[in-house]
Amino acid sequence: MRLRIVKAYFIKEMIELIRTKMIMMPYLMPLLIVILFGYGIKMQVTGVRTLILDNDNSQISRKLILKFEHSKYFTTTVKNMSEKDALREMKKANIDAIIIIPSSFEKNSLKGVKTEIGVFIDASFPSRATTMSNYIQGVVMDLASDFHIDSSGVININTRNLFNQALRDEEMIVPGLIGMVLLISPAILTALIIAREKEEGTIFNFYSSSVSKLEFLVAKLSAIFFLVSIAIFVIFLVASYLFNLPFRGSFFLFWLASELYVFTALGFGLLVSILASSQIIAMIVTLMLTIIPAFMYSGMIMPISSMSGDAFITAHIYPVMYYNHIIYDTFLIGQGFKSATNISYLLILFTYGVVLFMLGLLFLKKEIK
Amino acid sequence: MLEVKDLAVSHKKKLAIKNLSFKVADGEILGFIGADGAGKSSALNAIAGVIKFDGEILYNEFSYKSPKEAQKVKHDIGYMPQGIGLVLYKTLTIKEHLDFFTDIRDIKIDREFLEYKNHLLSMAGLEKFLERRAGDLSGGMMQKLSLVCTMLHRPKLLILDEPTTGVDPLSRIELWEILQQSAKEFNTISIISTAYMGEASKMDNILLFDEGEIIARGNSEQLIEEIKPFVYDKIETDKKHITISDTTYCLENLENQHQKPTLESLFFVNALKKDRLLPKLQIAKSKESIDKNVVVMKATKITKKFGDFYANRDVDCELKSGEILGLLGANGAGKTTFIKMLLGLLPLDGGELELFDKKIKNSDDRNKLKSQIGYVSQHFALYDDMTVRENMMFFASIHKIETLKAIKLIDNYSKELGFEKYLDEMPKSLPLGINQRFSLAVSILHEPKVLFLDEPTSGVDAIARAQFWELLKELKNKRGISILITTHYMSEAEFCDRVVLLKDGEKIADDRVENFYKKFPDAKSFEEIFLEYFR
Amino acid sequence: MKIFLTILLKELVSFFRSFGLVILVIYFFTAEVYVAANGMEIEAKNVAVGVVDKSAGGMSKKILSNLHSPEFQTPKFYKSQKELSDAIYNKDIMVGMIFDEQFEKNYYKNLNPTINILIDSTTASQSLMAIGYIQNILMKFNNLKLPVALKMHKLFNQNADTGLFMGVSELLSVITLLTTILTAIAFVKEKESGTWDIMLLMPVNPKIIILAKSLSQIIIIMLGVTISVGLILFQSLDVPINGNLLNFFILTFFYVATTAGIGLFIAAVSKNIMQISQLSIVIMMPIIFLSGAWTPIYAMHPLLQYISAITPLSYYIEGCESIFFRGTEFIDLLPYFGGVLILGVILYWYGFRKIGKLF
Repeated sequence: MRLRIVKAYFIKEMIELIRTKMIMMPYLMPLLIVILFGYGIKMQVTGVRTLILDNDNSQISRKLILKFEHSKYFTTTVKNMSEKDALREMKKANIDAIIIIPSSFEKNSLKGVKTEIGVFIDASFPSRATTMSNYIQGVVMDLASDFHIDSSGVININTRNLFNQALRDEEMIVPGLIGMVLLISPAILTALIIAREKEEGTIFNFYSSSVSKLEFLVAKLSAIFFLVSIAIFVIFLVASYLFNLPFRGSFFLFWLASELYVFTALGFGLLVSILASSQIIAMIVTLMLTIIPAFMYSGMIMPISSMSGDAFITAHIYPVMYYNHIIYDTFLIGQGFKSATNISYLLILFTYGVVLFMLGLLFLKKEIK
Repeated sequence: MLEVKDLAVSHKKKLAIKNLSFKVADGEILGFIGADGAGKSSALNAIAGVIKFDGEILYNEFSYKSPKEAQKVKHDIGYMPQGIGLVLYKTLTIKEHLDFFTDIRDIKIDREFLEYKNHLLSMAGLEKFLERRAGDLSGGMMQKLSLVCTMLHRPKLLILDEPTTGVDPLSRIELWEILQQSAKEFNTISIISTAYMGEASKMDNILLFDEGEIIARGNSEQLIEEIKPFVYDKIETDKKHITISDTTYCLENLENQHQKPTLESLFFVNALKKDRLLPKLQIAKSKESIDKNVVVMKATKITKKFGDFYANRDVDCELKSGEILGLLGANGAGKTTFIKMLLGLLPLDGGELELFDKKIKNSDDRNKLKSQIGYVSQHFALYDDMTVRENMMFFASIHKIETLKAIKLIDNYSKELGFEKYLDEMPKSLPLGINQRFSLAVSILHEPKVLFLDEPTSGVDAIARAQFWELLKELKNKRGISILITTHYMSEAEFCDRVVLLKDGEKIADDRVENFYKKFPDAKSFEEIFLEYFR
Repeated sequence: MKIFLTILLKELVSFFRSFGLVILVIYFFTAEVYVAANGMEIEAKNVAVGVVDKSAGGMSKKILSNLHSPEFQTPKFYKSQKELSDAIYNKDIMVGMIFDEQFEKNYYKNLNPTINILIDSTTASQSLMAIGYIQNILMKFNNLKLPVALKMHKLFNQNADTGLFMGVSELLSVITLLTTILTAIAFVKEKESGTWDIMLLMPVNPKIIILAKSLSQIIIIMLGVTISVGLILFQSLDVPINGNLLNFFILTFFYVATTAGIGLFIAAVSKNIMQISQLSIVIMMPIIFLSGAWTPIYAMHPLLQYISAITPLSYYIEGCESIFFRGTEFIDLLPYFGGVLILGVILYWYGFRKIGKLF
């Protein structure tokens, strides 16, 4: 391999990327995604707009209302209106939940007759609805436990939140987002710069010269690898300072895993661009191949341990879950090199990258199709 | 030494070339000529080792039968594929291109190399534009830059596919000096395809291609000698013949004076042999009477600046009705810019423009005149995803031509211009010559009074070009259309009524063709006159 | 008018002949929507639980027997707390429960029996939901004096099926992105292939060209929407529609025209298809983000709430949810129609002016 050729391509790619403004791709797009999704995805629901129809107006019902009003999860309004009007308000999307306290609530409860509190939840956003119903249940149970016979006989739960004590959304989302952007942006960029040469005809310079396939690939990929390597640090800083993520593990592990992961991402883009005939197709195929696995099979939205069947296998086929495991470890858990899982996942990433690169080398032909 | 044995190349399952065998000695320049789609490019691709092929190629002691095996000779190869600026990176400057190619060709940088590089650059006239990006260069300058990049490492086996398409005569001469020099001094083997027959005469050997096969070989004298009996002065006859301009080609004996054939004649004789007679061109005569000597376009002191650079400076120009005006000049002299200003595609930075006696001040003035103007651009830009017929229907409808009339018009033109059988194909899959004819048909559908044609014949084969000019003359005579045309074929200048020469954005001559010859009585062709001005 | 139709037809023909674009549009309107509907599961389901049981076992078994599918996987047992926490560290399980030696004794003696629960809060939402489930299960074992029950009604989507919601929202995002990209491509393609000059020289009012071109892309999107709604939403996903489908199509038409305006703007400032894709992402991502598709607008920072009031997608999404799920009457949909229309007129007018300057 002649370094001079690598250097020549490296400089050429850099100039082209800068002048076509594509150089923003490894920075702007990842930062945009990390920041928007990081702030944007809220798993927790706060400020549920709750309308309480208190038909009882008793001590207990007021106590219940008070509990709702004191919870940060609810923004409560107490009103006297018909159920029909309340439903209409919900249809107008002005409220999310309606709680109807029946008229004989206190009387019946104290007698020990079972009473039912009516709850209506807008389930057009289903996951939010489930969370809301859990919260409402919690508040009502809380009220109920104030009235139990004595302090005995109740099973207490003593919960310890490992790794993310404050249960911040950012801490669970942002590391996953890193896994997403470090896959998508290098893959697309690689796919584009090779497909572009094919589409415009400049690939002839490679076809007709003595530049070897290996030299060409290393040269082409080195520019993007370099740019994305810088992006790794930028994204790390954003995660640490903008989102205040703790960093509990080994930075060396984080860096090593990220570089290996970027290497596999380059391999993805490489394979796509060798098979695709135009830039548009290369871009679409790369997007299809990266966004969905990075989102769904990464463990960010759905834990790998909860997956079953096909999903479980698919998740293990893509490289994303291996990287994400290490990333969550370095940010939140901190096992580092002590964990055998981390080390084996690191090896998997390495093998993955090498295999993709080899396939690229095999499929790349120095000839017109 | 290069030897090609039984070469065959298929392209999209169709055999593009078959049974090709020939030898080239060291220091020899071999020319490929032939009509569009005759298989020249496929053969060149195979020799350069960038396409799969059958057969064997021997280069010195190396033999290769596939692109993979060709890897070992790539170091010696310099290959420039067909297509304007194809191998250039649009956002890189000329200097950056040179640095890039120096590195990927692994050239040792010493004094000798630097001298050679500067020599190439000054030959191409690019040394002043080192900081300009490839995307901002004119077509001809792109070609020259591609050539410089291809020749930078002094290839021992030089393969050039129509390297001079769109390149001005001056640069072509200098390029040939370099080619001949490197053949002589370094024993370079050169294989070059070209559409300029003037260049073919400078080659040591010529292969004439037709439908994927070689149909004639030899040097230019031998080839011309062979066809001598078939070339006559113009004459009417019932026998199978082709008449173009003042020459008649016929395989049978005619009672007329023989004419000295040129290399172009090869194409016509071959067409006769293959029984491919040219469609008869017929343009219906316009019903309106034609006023001669009416000024349809008058430009006064037109100026265009790009930054500090004057693309056009104080150019005066007039176009009369029923006149063919040729606009000639070196690459980058501002021809295309000038036409674009006339069309209103670029705003004027100074000067005044009158069209049909009306001063053009704003876009409203223009919109009223759009229906009187026809335009064919350098790239014959039409809609690639619609068939020829659909394209024509679309433009007819845009010009408010009734559907029934449009169908009839399309029918007529396609017959007259001979692209009838291509009506339902996509423009991209057609030979350049056909695209050019149908672009012209589109531009005259709405019966414009003036036509602007920007290098409509670059890269088009000899027969198609000859027919094209026949057509322009018909249009001029029968319809009284005024035509402004740019070209790099100096032989075509002879067909114009008047010629304007542009140099570095300024007009340096403007006269009738016969007056040019009066001024330079020694000149044998217009090319010599052109060189007088630009040397 | 004939010219208008000619250009419109030409755009449609050239769209259907460009293989890549057709595949792109079909993919996004079918597979993308389908996958989003079936794959995005935020509910806690199939949660992996680990247990260390040091109690006698009777009571704990009773409790554990309530942990079953679809919410839970069969609990895995570990010998020590160390093993349990290692399993959480390696993400083999998400929730760990520890019953200590005293648990059963305390329960029967009414002495505050305690279960220690460890959760992997890197996946907080599922962990929290899992805790919620466990709490509810434990309620059965507590004797409460206040016999209160909740009668839950999940309106508009009884089973809180995430798929339906995700399917619809994905469709709306697809509409947003594709309209901008396609409209921009319709113009920039001409710039790239050199036909732009030819277009400028046509004796046609530029306004007609712009209108015809953008309308052609709107038609393509509307076709895609129809296919997506019919084939994917109704056929494959069984999305219920509680409101009037016609309202949905009218609202969609207005919205698509609005987004086409953004596409015109992008077309005016881009030179090639690469720049379109980059710009579309940069402009459309914040719009999608601010639309309330991920976080309800009322839960956003007040400043963001103001900004989201001027993104057309926020009105469109809320409107479509109301039509599909809430079954809102037309009169109550008017604010959404109004919002989309007003922003639409402004954005389209702006894009129109911007691209018009190039003619």
